[in-house]
Amino acid sequence: MIFDRDQMRMVLAIVVVAVLAAGILGVTNILTREPIARAQKEALHKALAQVLPQHANDAQADSFNVDAVAIYPAKDGLGNVRGFAWEVVAPDGYSGSIRILVGLEPEGAIHAIRVTDHRETPGLGDGIVKNSDWLQNFSGRVLEGSNWKVKKDGGDFDQFTGATITPRAVVKAVKGALAFYNSQRQVILNAVEQQNRGKHASEHEMKLEMKID
Amino acid sequence: MTKSEVFYDGFWHNNTIFAQLLGMCPLLGVTTSAENGFWMGVATMLVLLGSNLVVSLVRDVIPKNVRIPAYITIIAAFVTVVGMAMNAWMHEMYLVLGLFIPLIVVNCAILGRAEAFASKNSVSDSVVDALAVSAGFTFALILLGGVRELLGQGELFGFSLFGESYPDVLMFILPPGAFIALGFILAGVNLINRKLKQRADAAAQAVAAVEAGS
Repeated sequence: MIFDRDQMRMVLAIVVVAVLAAGILGVTNILTREPIARAQKEALHKALAQVLPQHANDAQADSFNVDAVAIYPAKDGLGNVRGFAWEVVAPDGYSGSIRILVGLEPEGAIHAIRVTDHRETPGLGDGIVKNSDWLQNFSGRVLEGSNWKVKKDGGDFDQFTGATITPRAVVKAVKGALAFYNSQRQVILNAVEQQNRGKHASEHEMKLEMKID
Repeated sequence: MTKSEVFYDGFWHNNTIFAQLLGMCPLLGVTTSAENGFWMGVATMLVLLGSNLVVSLVRDVIPKNVRIPAYITIIAAFVTVVGMAMNAWMHEMYLVLGLFIPLIVVNCAILGRAEAFASKNSVSDSVVDALAVSAGFTFALILLGGVRELLGQGELFGFSLFGESYPDVLMFILPPGAFIALGFILAGVNLINRKLKQRADAAAQAVAAVEAGS
């Protein structure tokens, strides 16, 4: 197939524009990759500090997976477990999914929760972010003993004026997190213990190596 | 056209929102607060500056029949760059606006400026046009966002103005409130334009009368 001159010019123009655009995007991607990762880590760090009980470790560095869920453990200076946090997704928000970071104490009571991402209506559904009393109401609750529904459905949690779907979705997702902990508790605790043992072991090895030197 | 005429035309006379009613999707979508409107305007300004500049630079090189795909590729590249930069250095705002940033690509106001202005004018005029059009667009976004935030939540740029007792008019935060507020703003703009025209006509008549009298 042979192009005439005009067709060659058209093809050339598009190819040059596309290659230049791709080049610029590639460079931008390289330049922003690190800062984006840092910003995301920073955001998660802030959220974790708010939902986890006081801890001495870097919860992100110590995170491990249980059943494809990334668990962030809180430990004191001696490695004793102080709590856990992980993110749950409420798929049934008013507009799209709501991501919630749930922080638990080892006994299975909620320490605090925090919404990390949502598209709910400002002024209505976004009470799940702004209404601190409502968020406070979750603290200390365990799976049994609370009615995990909004008041409109006969439960223990307030809905907001003009917004029922959003809090309903959050309450359901948090209940799911507690149920997950109840069923996976032993697995999670074992994983932390293993992690601590691994750390001790590597410290031990280091000492041995030093002796050999 | 002189530079100031280009600016006046882009900012007010042919304002993207007030006169052309283009770019409604980001306008109605993000203007639940003045701050959101401001940052959406800034993002649009960066994209428009880039696209007008490049389109004007390559206007004699790109064959006419493939210009639209070429322009869209240029615009999409700038939008992606702005999106990535926002994600990296303004992470919190990116989380709020994230959904609407990629949609700047299909903001017809931007392709419209590339096609109607940058592809026919010099680089410097195109840059002035980009600044004017996006300043006008940003002004409209802040105005609508401010009205909706003020009526809907009693706040402006996040500062409470009327105190705790203000009953939030939630409708203005919801999509119907955007349409209603925009309607009133457009009516106000038309009123101002009519006043401006009357004054110009009166001035012209006065001049004509003086000339006829002398």
